[in-house]
Amino acid sequence: MSENLSRKANYPLFCGLSGRDLCPRARYRCMRNSLLIVMLAITLVPLSITSGLNFIQYQQLLREDSQANARWNAESAKATITAYLEKLEAAITVVIDTHTFEDLSDSKRLEHIFRQLKKEHQGLVDLSVVGPDGIQSAYVGPYRLAGKDYSDSLWFHKALDRRMYVSEVFTGFRNIPHFVVAASKKDPYSEQYWVLRASIDTETLDRFLALADTDALEDIFLLNDSGILQSASRYHGGAMKNFQLTRKPKQNDILIFEEMRGGSSFYRAVSRIPNTPWLLVLDQQGAEARKIWHLFKGRLLLTLILCFFVSGGVVVWLARFLAAKFREADETRDAILSETEHSNKLASIGRLAAGVAHEINNPLAIIGEKAGLMQDLVGLEQDFRYRDKFLDQLASLQNAVARARTITHRLLGFARRMETSLTLVQLNEILQEVLSFLEKDAAYRNIHIILQLQEDLPVVRADHGQLQQVFLNVINNAIDAIRNDGEIHITSRRENQKTVMVAISDTGPGIAPEIQKNIFEPFFTTKGNEEKKGTGLGLSITYGLVQKMGGKIEVSSEVGIGTTFIITFPIYSEGSDGEINDRA
Amino acid sequence: MVKLMIAHRIMIVDDELDFGTTLAERLELRGFVAKAVGGAEEAMAALAAGWRPDVVLLDLMMPGVDGLATLDLIKQHDPKIQVIILTGHGSTESGIIGMQRGLFDYLMKPVDIGELIGRINEAGTR
Repeated sequence: MSENLSRKANYPLFCGLSGRDLCPRARYRCMRNSLLIVMLAITLVPLSITSGLNFIQYQQLLREDSQANARWNAESAKATITAYLEKLEAAITVVIDTHTFEDLSDSKRLEHIFRQLKKEHQGLVDLSVVGPDGIQSAYVGPYRLAGKDYSDSLWFHKALDRRMYVSEVFTGFRNIPHFVVAASKKDPYSEQYWVLRASIDTETLDRFLALADTDALEDIFLLNDSGILQSASRYHGGAMKNFQLTRKPKQNDILIFEEMRGGSSFYRAVSRIPNTPWLLVLDQQGAEARKIWHLFKGRLLLTLILCFFVSGGVVVWLARFLAAKFREADETRDAILSETEHSNKLASIGRLAAGVAHEINNPLAIIGEKAGLMQDLVGLEQDFRYRDKFLDQLASLQNAVARARTITHRLLGFARRMETSLTLVQLNEILQEVLSFLEKDAAYRNIHIILQLQEDLPVVRADHGQLQQVFLNVINNAIDAIRNDGEIHITSRRENQKTVMVAISDTGPGIAPEIQKNIFEPFFTTKGNEEKKGTGLGLSITYGLVQKMGGKIEVSSEVGIGTTFIITFPIYSEGSDGEINDRA
Repeated sequence: MVKLMIAHRIMIVDDELDFGTTLAERLELRGFVAKAVGGAEEAMAALAAGWRPDVVLLDLMMPGVDGLATLDLIKQHDPKIQVIILTGHGSTESGIIGMQRGLFDYLMKPVDIGELIGRINEAGTR
């Protein structure tokens, strides 16, 4: 038992499909495992590779798409801001070109112009005129800034340097973040430059930037080169807060790069807004953060799991099925080989037995006749001194010849079992005939024969004499096995639609398993005692006869309990010719 | 020795002359007229010479003309002669063929003399 367990534990997982060196059970287990591994590899490896490639490909596509989206959104936001500023600059240019310093220093006139401009340009907070000395000469707006001195302001000097200037965001006298669009013009009389200034609050910038907001957009804001926020950022605070970019574009092109925030990546697009000190910064969700990516991953995983389960199930079933089929085919082949071997052995021994019997019969006949003649002659000599002694010796010689004759005739009977004459017979009748020979012997030994014969047993097509020999051999064996005091149960019944069976059970000592496999072999005998020594041909002849008539004989036995021989024959029916098995 | 009422004439055809002559002698001791010959040619010569047996005991396996062919020759010569095959090389097949050709019986060597005489008497009285 422990050896079996250790052998089981040592079954190799994979041994190819041959596994010749293993015991049969291990070989088929191994074959099943091998098939399982090979088929799983064949189905699941390509599936996994395809899924992996799909995963990588789709991720790459999404990344490219996210980058393209970031670029497109940045372009769009940049265009919106630029358009707004260009429109405002154009309006201010028109105003400054068509008016003199004195004209616009008139508060009423400036207010009229401011109202007109405010209608067209949202976010415009105020409008003012600043003289060459930096003093604000006229102001229209919500703050009290008239007369303020801007001579130290950066924007004022920049505006004087350039015809048009858009400032960075600053708080100024009003202390509120805003930026200015300022235009300068030379006064023809004093030949000094004065400035027309419009200020716009940063919320206007926020509103324009908010137009670009999409699902995938994380953040969008304006920044100057010094790292001061020019508009509100979702993650970095309101205008005037500090934020440093890792990379900045050199020209007006859009720079896109990947950044990390809170463990997930996103794409950052940075672009300069022409003619302003601003950088537009747009943060777009990374490919992996997008809903569509999660959806794809979920579906891919679901498909993979489903495929794994379905393929795994099919492969396991297929491997078991194929291993079982291999086993079945091997067992069938082994059975046929063993049967053929047995039949060939019987046939060879039959031929050999016939040859030996024939060759011995002739000299045996000469011995018999010579001894017989001597008996005759000595018998006639009444006065011969040794008459009685001679007659005794010659009688012994004749007995020896008779014994030898019995053996040679039995051998010939064994060889002759191939010849059959088929008729329709009732097994019950033959059993009764055979029992009539044996009943006396059985009764003498106190052996009870108990019959359970099915009355309407269908007929079979077989050789009457050979069937007698079959039952005689088996029942004789049963009697010999019991010796004295016991029971023999003989049962006949229809087994199924195609076969009838006769079971002969004895209460003898039983047959050990190692002997059971040999009992149908020629010359195998267990009757070792001198008084009734077996030839070892009885069951072998029986086996050959049953096979020859298309039947089957099987033995089951348990030591100490008894032995059962089960003989089955095909039922004769119209159309079936009770084909005779030629292999025997 | 019991004297038989009818003294049948027996011819034993067997290449084993030792067997044939011994059996012939035993049959003669039992009141038969017996002659042993070594093969088909001698048997046919004896028949041609006018030695007509009632029963022929014929071996099956003989050199030259075998038992079944000899049976045919005897039956051609005189269909009334009864033939019993007495052989060590018996097979049911040759027995059946012999029966189809007019064989009376088929016995296996070595045979009990009593059984043989019984079969001879049956054949001789047919």
